[in-house]
Amino acid sequence: MNPLVLWFHKLGSPPYFYRLAGRLLPWLWGLGLISLAVGLYGGLVLAPSDYQQSDAFRIIYVHVPSAWMSLFIYAFMAVNGFIALIWRIKLSETLAMASAPIGAAFTFICLATGSIWGKPMWGTWWTWDARLTSELVLLFLYFGVMGLYQAIEDRRQASRAAAFLALVGIVNLPIVHFSVNWWNTLHQGSTVRLFGPSLIDSRMLWPLLVMAVATKFLFAASLLSRARVDLLELEAGKDWARQVALADGDAA
Amino acid sequence: MSYGTALSACRALFVRDFSLVWRQRGDALNPMLFAIMVVVLFPFALGPEPNALARIASGTILVALLLAGLLSLDALFRSDFEDGSLEQLVLSPHPLPLLLACKIAVHWLTTALPLLLAAPLLGELLYLPRSELPVLLAALALSTPLLSLIGAVCVALTVGMRRSGMLLALLVLPLYVPVLIFAAGACNAAGQGLPVLAPLLWLGAGLALALVLAPLACAAALRISLS
Amino acid sequence: MNPTRKRRLVVISLILVAVVVAAALTVLALQQNITYLYTPVEVQAGKVPADARFRLGGMVKAGSIQRAGDSLKTGFVVTDGDAELDVEYTGILPDLFREKQSVVTTGRMDGKRFVATEVLAKHDENYVPRDVAEAMAKAHKKHEVSESKPAAQ
Repeated sequence: MNPLVLWFHKLGSPPYFYRLAGRLLPWLWGLGLISLAVGLYGGLVLAPSDYQQSDAFRIIYVHVPSAWMSLFIYAFMAVNGFIALIWRIKLSETLAMASAPIGAAFTFICLATGSIWGKPMWGTWWTWDARLTSELVLLFLYFGVMGLYQAIEDRRQASRAAAFLALVGIVNLPIVHFSVNWWNTLHQGSTVRLFGPSLIDSRMLWPLLVMAVATKFLFAASLLSRARVDLLELEAGKDWARQVALADGDAA
Repeated sequence: MSYGTALSACRALFVRDFSLVWRQRGDALNPMLFAIMVVVLFPFALGPEPNALARIASGTILVALLLAGLLSLDALFRSDFEDGSLEQLVLSPHPLPLLLACKIAVHWLTTALPLLLAAPLLGELLYLPRSELPVLLAALALSTPLLSLIGAVCVALTVGMRRSGMLLALLVLPLYVPVLIFAAGACNAAGQGLPVLAPLLWLGAGLALALVLAPLACAAALRISLS
Repeated sequence: MNPTRKRRLVVISLILVAVVVAAALTVLALQQNITYLYTPVEVQAGKVPADARFRLGGMVKAGSIQRAGDSLKTGFVVTDGDAELDVEYTGILPDLFREKQSVVTTGRMDGKRFVATEVLAKHDENYVPRDVAEAMAKAHKKHEVSESKPAAQ
């Protein structure tokens, strides 16, 4: 078998993943916290203030990365859900379900910071703008996935049903992303663009990109921590899980 | 052994579901009574002033009908699941999405259509301006099948659960939000004399997609929750 | 053709039909004004019925802001480059409200004036440090470049 495919198969096995994630975790947390510190210092202290909004613009260093993460994590959850439904890989089910609460948290941060910024800048805490509404629907979708997962007793069936709901909800992702172009109401368009020049000065841009990297690391670290625990719970009867539990017991 | 054509299976399913509803015709009226009572609560809560009521009339009717539809969703597969005929349906050699589309159609005809016919009466109760009524009816005619189709997918996911009422609402309502926005948008625009075509076209686009995709998704969801 | 393939063909063609119909309706819908956001030109062309509550979008004209001394009443002119409209508003204005700023106001026409019940400042997607903005303003002045930004659509 091709070594890459072999590695993939190995990754799908819970004990291998458990050990690998355990080795990766300190690195991920470390890198995440360091880049978070760098990004926040750069954004809150080093970056010059904006010509119109002065210091109030600095909230984008939290708002924009969490908005990106809210979409990224949903896509991640849906892809894993898809893999779980088609190939029935246990690891994908666990990863999809472990990412839902993290995504909900990022969505909530995004909405809350946007609201705090909106009051002084736009003049309102909340408006039924297309971007805001679709982001709120995204939060409810996360809640729906989590609620469905908790409500079914059989863990594997629960994750498959919830993964299916996540797949249905994916229609909301393009709506969130393109809402500022389709319904040009109040929320501004995207500042940082993948294609073409970004509409932000480079001295302001780099902390934003560092924050984007930091949130990715923090998500990965948090996801792996959650997934390890979930896997142990799911495989509680298996030998490897018992060994892990016994080893931890001896160490303590 | 021959199974008959898919068409005859659909016909049999229609006859069966309609006769089941007819045998319990008292229950079939419940969603309508619920919607009327919800609408009647508003004048009590807000005071009987015609101007104030007329302004919120179309939105109130939309929400009342949406909630009535939500409450009746649970019955879509409930009795079939309990007596085992749902599993027979899944095991049948005919395409499951087609059979489910028939079930959803019967459900819409027996729960949403009476509500639709009651809408003018509800409008009168809330002093709905006459000029808004045709737009409201058009919005309802497009949105209620859409709600039934989206709801059916979520019901299929929760079909095996004993207490699914609250959870079902949690799953369904976010997906209902866009439908409600467009339907209410059309009614509000009509009230202000602004053009109403765009939101209705959006609803139509959604309905066209849901008519084909929702039965397929519903079948997949049902297979997951019955596995 | 075997039955499975035939069924698959039917499903795929049905999906195609649905997508085509939905796309056609969407294209039609996108040609309409769905946000009910009108610019002064459209208002003066009579596209908005009298008494309708709608949203007016545009830029605050330079030097047009007049504040009443004893109340929160503010008058200003909203322009889209081609036409102008007087707006009257009573209440607290957002921080970003200033000259040459895009605003979205909600209200209705009262004669020739637009009486707003809500004024929101629209922020664009540009972020510029203060020193750079000042340097650019100087350069603009030197070269006599007239600052013309597109109005809110």
